Amino acid sequence: MTVVFSKENLKLSKDLQTLTGENVMLCYQCKKCTLGCPSAYAMRMKPHELMRATQFGLAEEIYWSGAIWICLSCETCNTRCPQDINILRVIDGLREMSKESEYYNPYPAIPALHRIFMALVERFGKVYELGLALLINLRMLTPFKDIDMASPMLLKGKLKPLPHFSHGAKELRKVMARIRAMEKDRFA
Amino acid sequence: MRYAYFPGCSLSSSGYDYNLSLKYVAKALGIDLAEVKDWVCCGASSAHATSHLLSIALPVLNLSHAEKDGFDKLIAPCLACLSRFKAANVELEHDADLKKKIHEVFDYKYQGKVRVYHPLEVFLEMGIEKIRERIRKKLKGLKVACYYGCALTRPPKVCQFDNVEDPQSMDTIVKALGAETIDWSFKTECCGVSMTLTRSDMVLKLSNDILREAKEAGANAITVACPLCQANLDGRQRQIEEAYKTRYGIPILYFTQLMGLAFGAYPKELGIQKLITSPREVLGSVGLM
Repeated sequence: MTVVFSKENLKLSKDLQTLTGENVMLCYQCKKCTLGCPSAYAMRMKPHELMRATQFGLAEEIYWSGAIWICLSCETCNTRCPQDINILRVIDGLREMSKESEYYNPYPAIPALHRIFMALVERFGKVYELGLALLINLRMLTPFKDIDMASPMLLKGKLKPLPHFSHGAKELRKVMARIRAMEKDRFA
Repeated sequence: MRYAYFPGCSLSSSGYDYNLSLKYVAKALGIDLAEVKDWVCCGASSAHATSHLLSIALPVLNLSHAEKDGFDKLIAPCLACLSRFKAANVELEHDADLKKKIHEVFDYKYQGKVRVYHPLEVFLEMGIEKIRERIRKKLKGLKVACYYGCALTRPPKVCQFDNVEDPQSMDTIVKALGAETIDWSFKTECCGVSMTLTRSDMVLKLSNDILREAKEAGANAITVACPLCQANLDGRQRQIEEAYKTRYGIPILYFTQLMGLAFGAYPKELGIQKLITSPREVLGSVGLM
């Protein structure tokens, strides 16, 4: 594939730098990130390839591969990067920017989980584990997944059937509303 | 010593036994834990995948509650919470822009005075002698693999705790209890918990690697310091055995449970009956249960 450096191609790395403060151009492809990555085996675009793609501005390829959603956020890559690039922050930046590219995402259930998680937190102030599992299982059309794991946990009282409420939930909702208002038009 | 205590969502449900045993051990060592008032979820790995500002704001909301109540030290036993709190403190210190934005969001201006600790750090800071004094029953015969997980040491700039690739803090404590710790290479590998509901196949593979390594290195128990690692390695152990056609039967205990056992607590006081993979055989063989 031929890639030409142009203003258009440099837009992605510039956008990433404004959003996250990380300069992806520092990457010189030593592959330490990929070698240490526990989920690289499941990625169609490995972490070092992802870094290269951000340098070239290949946004579509990145979102098509779905690699940003396979990342486990374990921070091994950040720790080992000789150029001190915060790779997880770059990936988080790509995740934040991915809203318009949702169509390309081969693993839509993973961002859906994050959305359900935050919606439950906004409602109750705390995570409701059983509700989260049920909702995401419905979303993935596999309602009975992991029932063999959940039933002994329910019997032993390690999963609570009802959600816990936090008295801080009201304040939390106020904070989340303010942030939403502040970030409303950041990718416009 | 008085600490603000942020249990986090997991410790009231799947990490119930961690909460019990931590409180028991803290009491025995004279540490006073005061739960943060009106605490809310820290956002874990979902907040930072949606909005960076939100992922800092949620920990700050809790930290400012602790600061308002006059605490300058906070204990977070769950690694997901711990790393979010530490990251919030570090980023606010170094990023003036972010600090300005955060101050716009909140009415109360958080000053960044609350230091965040994992219970391991607190226990070690008190001195290993203090732990030795409390021991009633040595844990002779246990071969323990200490599993630290991702977020206790990584990233080092934020965590500033122990060796990144080969941490020793949990080993030091477990050795002091009289158990034997094994050397193994999967101490800080990821168990994959952020994908536990959506890509269970990955979680089974990663957790299987950890269990297999521990078994091959000769461990008969694994200790953890995080409710999420525990839920994965313990709760999914049967699924892993089925998927990879093997048999492990390794109990996954919290390090606080081991400490409690050595301090002479009844297993019930530490929530040991709540473990999914029964520790009866292993603990029974060394006369602890």
